[in-house]
Amino acid sequence: MIRTKLTTTAAVTAAAALLLTGCGRSADGPAAGEALELSDDAAAGTVTVWAQGTEGEALKEFVAPFEEANPDVEVEVTSIPWDSAQNKYQTAIAGGSTPDIGMLGSDWLPGFATALTPVPSEIDTSGIFPFAVESANIDGTLLGVPWYVETRVIFHRTDLMKEAGFEEFPTDWDGLKELARAYKEKAGADFGIAIPAGGWNGFIGTLPFDYSGGAEVMDADQQEWTIDTPEMVQSLEYLKSYFDEGLADNRPSTETGSASANLVSGSVPMFLSGPWDIGGLETAGGPGFEDKFDVAMIPAAPGATSKSFAAGANLAVFKGAENPDAAWKLIEWLNQPEVQVDWFETVRDLPAQQSSWEDDALTSDPMIAVFGEQLESVGIAPTVSTWSEVSAAADTQMERIFRGGADVQETLTELQATADGLGTSR
Amino acid sequence: MTAQLAPVVASAEVAPDPAPRSPVRRARRSRGSAGRILVYAILLVTLVGTLIPFVWMFLGSVKTEQELRQRPPTWWPQTFTWDNFAAWFGRLDIGTFFVNSIVVAVFTVLGTLLFCSMVGYALAKLEFPGKRLLFGLVLVTLMVPGVVTFVPLFVVVSRLGLVSTYVALILPFLVGPLGVFLMRQFIGEIPDSLIEAARIDGASEIRIFLRIVLPLCGPALATLAILTFLSSWNNFLWPLVVAQSEDMYTLPVALSLYSVGQNATNYGVLLAGSVLVITPVLLLFLALQKYFIRGITTTGIK
Repeated sequence: MIRTKLTTTAAVTAAAALLLTGCGRSADGPAAGEALELSDDAAAGTVTVWAQGTEGEALKEFVAPFEEANPDVEVEVTSIPWDSAQNKYQTAIAGGSTPDIGMLGSDWLPGFATALTPVPSEIDTSGIFPFAVESANIDGTLLGVPWYVETRVIFHRTDLMKEAGFEEFPTDWDGLKELARAYKEKAGADFGIAIPAGGWNGFIGTLPFDYSGGAEVMDADQQEWTIDTPEMVQSLEYLKSYFDEGLADNRPSTETGSASANLVSGSVPMFLSGPWDIGGLETAGGPGFEDKFDVAMIPAAPGATSKSFAAGANLAVFKGAENPDAAWKLIEWLNQPEVQVDWFETVRDLPAQQSSWEDDALTSDPMIAVFGEQLESVGIAPTVSTWSEVSAAADTQMERIFRGGADVQETLTELQATADGLGTSR
Repeated sequence: MTAQLAPVVASAEVAPDPAPRSPVRRARRSRGSAGRILVYAILLVTLVGTLIPFVWMFLGSVKTEQELRQRPPTWWPQTFTWDNFAAWFGRLDIGTFFVNSIVVAVFTVLGTLLFCSMVGYALAKLEFPGKRLLFGLVLVTLMVPGVVTFVPLFVVVSRLGLVSTYVALILPFLVGPLGVFLMRQFIGEIPDSLIEAARIDGASEIRIFLRIVLPLCGPALATLAILTFLSSWNNFLWPLVVAQSEDMYTLPVALSLYSVGQNATNYGVLLAGSVLVITPVLLLFLALQKYFIRGITTTGIK
């Protein structure tokens, strides 16, 4: 069932991509065109917005103050399911029936670049996390405004950690491994930590460790793949040792929620995840469980600094937008630091505006504070259009290393060749 | 035809009718045979295997989210809750989604029955130049997976200005190669003499089709109706893409919208929603089961 769905998704994506590139060529080149000059008047007319899941549901009520401040504007929000959302946007672009504003996952922009318009210069993005702005910067043109961000940290059981003889969460790789071993040997856990052993997005799952070991997937100006570097070999050898020593399960369940279920039961007391799992674990663990777990920054390799993987969502305006002026004004409003704090309190999305993080709502929550600290040092996925193919090829290779015990250096050399073959074209 | 039989046999096990009871008694009277017991043992195992997912769904829909995520999982709910259903009836406009799903499914089924049997009749019984080629073309489209035509189909619908309408949800599914094939094969089995007799009596082609052919096609129509209804009821991707406002969403789209997040799934709401989506279909199937199985048996004899 899930298999068919994946195949369907893949085929539709491929078909839409063909159509998109086809359209791109027939239109006036891949250039995004000129940015709109915003009028000085208040926003007016109808603005249509597509937003996924919880964000879509909450946004309908949330825009009320904007509508009050601009009496002539009406914001129409359609909430769409996360499942196959990317397909929905792709087909809408191909069919020319897009809304004004779309909420696009930060890694979707390279693929959608030809359908989006540049951010007007009136919108100030200087206060936003630089990594988030970078994710919306395609070929030197800013195509979206970061709305919220997320990053990965280590969720762990504090009560079992004490049982295992640890007071503080380790900050280096050796310490993390000792803790994993102690969880297993002294605190009755089946495995020390959950590490993705391949499968969809398995490579992204290893990136927090790769980054914290000094490795990068591409060079700084995204001209070349840097996959078979000694740093990457080192971090994957490190992760592989968890599987070899029985500290991580190489056949983990990939079902949503299984990692948090294993943390609650204590069978695997550590996993990497984003801010959504704070609420997820409180639900799964029931009353009182919030005192039994905590989050910590990704431990770093000797001589390196902790650096996690970050993503999020951008708001972008489509070329076919009927009301781009009001659309950009709505995006500008959603990006004001105080509105971002309200949004955090509404749906717990982490603000993209750095100054929002000084608000009590965020500083008073110790777990959120850890995310804030980690966000100071993060890396994003490459913004080249071949990344999705490279990432998929890498997922397979990760599986060969972690499950099949393949040699890390050899596998990475092979992956480097695959990536070079796919190129870095956008 | 064999391809059609397989799923039907499987679903026939869902609810064994009183009918099997009498053979059991008869078997016991005739000193029971080991083979018969073995057959029933196999049937029982398959029955349990078929029912377990449904039982899990019904029991899970009244569990709390915490219990659903518990390892090891529980069978019987420890704490009984209606919250998952309350989420559907309180917060969400489930009535609209239901009406949309029903309208789309009913019109799709009616259209499919009418058009597929008409085309099937023409291809089976009428003589006209290019008939074999036409049938060949129908068979060829059977080989083209739906996803290949998905985006072009949407572009057409979009350019016609039909996005977010019932027409867009129904029109593309009104006639399909599988239905045409099924009906053509079935109508082909009807003796030519019947149709010729009617023609000699002066009946028009429309009249022959409506009064002679259609009534004889009952079993095939029942099969086609159920298959079409199920695929329309479960269709997710097309309604998702075509419905651009929430009041045009169908049940599967709503189910996904309210329970599957980007990084987390609300299993309680998902299971409760599934109960609401599946129950009507299940009841419909149980009600029609007798006709359905009878249809299959007559088809089998031919």
